[in-house]
Amino acid sequence: MEDDSRPLLASEQTGECSLRGSTDSLDIKVKRPFHVEPRNIVADDPQERVSAEAAILNSRVHYYSKLTGSSDRLLSPPNHVIPRPEEIYIYSPLGTAFKVTSSDQSSKNPSIITIFAIWNTMMGTSILSIPWGIKQAGFTMGILILIFTGLLLLYCCYIVLKSPKSIPYIDTSDWEFPDVCRYYFGKFGQWSSLFFSMVSLIGAMVVYWVLMSNFLFNSGQFIYSTISVLYLITLVTYKAFRLGFHLEFHWFDHTQFFVPEFRLQFPQLTGVLTLAFFIHNCIITLMKSNKNQENNVRDLSVAYLLVGLTYLYVGVLIFSAFPSPPLTKECIEPNFLDNFPSSDVMVFVARAFLLFQMITVYPLLGYLVRVQVMSQFFGNNYPSFFHVLLLNVFIVGAGVLTAMFYPNIGSIIRFSGATCGLALVFIFPALVHMISLHRQGTLTWPSAVFHSFLILLGMANLLAQFFM
Amino acid sequence: MSGSAMKKKVLLMGKSGSGKTSMRSIIFANYIARDTRRLGATIDVEHSHVRFLGNLVLNLWDCGGQDTFMENYFTSQRDNIFRNVEVLIYVFDVESRELEKDMHYYQSCLEAILQNSPDAKVFCLVHKMDLVQEDQRDLIFKEREEDLKRLSRPLACTCFRTSIWDETLYKAWSSIVYQLIPNVQQLETNLRNFAQIIEADEVLLFERATFLVISHYQCKEQRDAHRFEKISNIIKQFKLSCSKLAASFQSMEVRNSNFAAFIDVFTSNTYVMVIMSDPSIPSAATLINIRNARKHFEKLERVDGPKHSLHMRMR
Repeated sequence: MEDDSRPLLASEQTGECSLRGSTDSLDIKVKRPFHVEPRNIVADDPQERVSAEAAILNSRVHYYSKLTGSSDRLLSPPNHVIPRPEEIYIYSPLGTAFKVTSSDQSSKNPSIITIFAIWNTMMGTSILSIPWGIKQAGFTMGILILIFTGLLLLYCCYIVLKSPKSIPYIDTSDWEFPDVCRYYFGKFGQWSSLFFSMVSLIGAMVVYWVLMSNFLFNSGQFIYSTISVLYLITLVTYKAFRLGFHLEFHWFDHTQFFVPEFRLQFPQLTGVLTLAFFIHNCIITLMKSNKNQENNVRDLSVAYLLVGLTYLYVGVLIFSAFPSPPLTKECIEPNFLDNFPSSDVMVFVARAFLLFQMITVYPLLGYLVRVQVMSQFFGNNYPSFFHVLLLNVFIVGAGVLTAMFYPNIGSIIRFSGATCGLALVFIFPALVHMISLHRQGTLTWPSAVFHSFLILLGMANLLAQFFM
Repeated sequence: MSGSAMKKKVLLMGKSGSGKTSMRSIIFANYIARDTRRLGATIDVEHSHVRFLGNLVLNLWDCGGQDTFMENYFTSQRDNIFRNVEVLIYVFDVESRELEKDMHYYQSCLEAILQNSPDAKVFCLVHKMDLVQEDQRDLIFKEREEDLKRLSRPLACTCFRTSIWDETLYKAWSSIVYQLIPNVQQLETNLRNFAQIIEADEVLLFERATFLVISHYQCKEQRDAHRFEKISNIIKQFKLSCSKLAASFQSMEVRNSNFAAFIDVFTSNTYVMVIMSDPSIPSAATLINIRNARKHFEKLERVDGPKHSLHMRMR
């Protein structure tokens, strides 16, 4: 307690020294006010000084802030008046000044990087099921459906990307699509978008487990997912080159070795494609780091085009190169790698790449599921060891059971694709778009009809998975 | 200035939300309490109780865009409002979507001025210009200025484009104050003489309530073009702090090895700031010079004051 009565500053004199104010000394050098030498401004260019505009703006902001209450934003500088982050310095009381790094720590990427990131993220294990899907729909119809579904999902992705911007008065800069759904549909929107997001994630994890249990290998290298896709493309090209093309066009009838060009099971392909082109739950975040935001739509379209071409390439080549006499096209497996013997070295390598991609991504998906589920149900990312253990047992258990009893990844993909696509691709984006247009008073009849039709398509897509 | 029985007014008018309260707060260093940023229009005139340029009282009115109650009140009180007006400052929001209506209200104010205070000076401020893109500002302002000048005939109006986020607000109000001071040219000549006699680097004359620069003299080029506004902001902040202690600001001396600056009361309407870059001249000398000059300038302010020449200097 007696420590409290001692002056904080150590000095030789007695207690009265603490009462001597700054009027004591006339030595100006000692009484220098707070001052920063320009050379102490820590930046790349040590000669940098404060610009005249910044200095006067600083003066104004200081003065205006004294005229209102601290929480009053009447005289706060608007965004267009504040200098760019590169021109802002933070002064530390210790006498140095630091430059402000960009407030959002994400770096800005040129278009090509953004396009590549989208392509990379979208390109998933559904690529393995595309040839099977084309077989289910018929060759010609399959190609047409692939193109049509790609365009449709591109449009839905575009309205998802646009959706936070048409929300007035609120800062939506760090919102993702589920936040938009919560804004328009309240708790119901939040929970349902979470649920459908989980469907896609858990569906992907189940597929991964099934595939991993099929690809058994041990090696010691970490491979980026892009390489596995590129390798697949190379593999497909090589096989097609080796096997040659085996195509015969029978429009509506089944033959011994070929399938019709147009088949009634085409919804199975649309289900697969809904998951194959699915990126709607994270497109906003991916696009945020695009350097030129005005090119977002263009870059998104280019990414979709590239993804579509990749799928088309793999699907068409595998389908065409499948040696139809002696085999029938019906044999094309939902995972086309299963059509090759396990002794085939190239396919073995492909399986290895994919296995390692999946082993590394599986825990990441598990993390995403855990964070979203736990924070929604319990408000905490890691409520307790047992909560997380239970969740993981559930997910892995689902994967194991499916691998044991129903390892048809084509079906898993198409059902989970159609389900989560129903909400996150068709219903929510279309509804959100229509509501925002309606609130602005610009909803036209053709637009309302078109977007309602989108919703119907989504529902038909899901229903058809059960019946076709 | 000899005052009449009624105080002369400065009317600050404009549509609700055009920025008058913020402008007044910034220029006159008035605290804006949160409640005054109200949801509706000003119900009654907001008096500023500021002695502006001696004996002028600032009245703030919302003009136009109100309901019929306000319309009637405005119409019935019209003559009261527009009598004894020295200055009308009309604020236009550059972003307003009802240009026709704004012009209409402006014209009716002008009519009232013509009837009640035909000698009043009229100033138009096109405000919130920071919301316009930089390359379009000149164009838009010229357009508005032409319209306003045409509409204001036979009265002459002076137009300024302003924004609280750049130097245009301060400069516009400085120009307004400059035009309101009688014999201002004489003041400037005397200021120059004074500065040269005491060998000052720079001498500034500020209006007392707002610290707007009325006149200045500098003997060489200065680097910072925004220094007037900065000084004004600093002193107004200091005044705000002083007022919290029920103290009032009178004078200030700032000195280091390179210069000495003195800010002091000068005449009844003005403050003076003297900057000496010769540190060998003691403060006392400069302060005596300022005191002597004060008497001389006060006589100038009185319209019929005799002329004196300054010939005193101490080393």
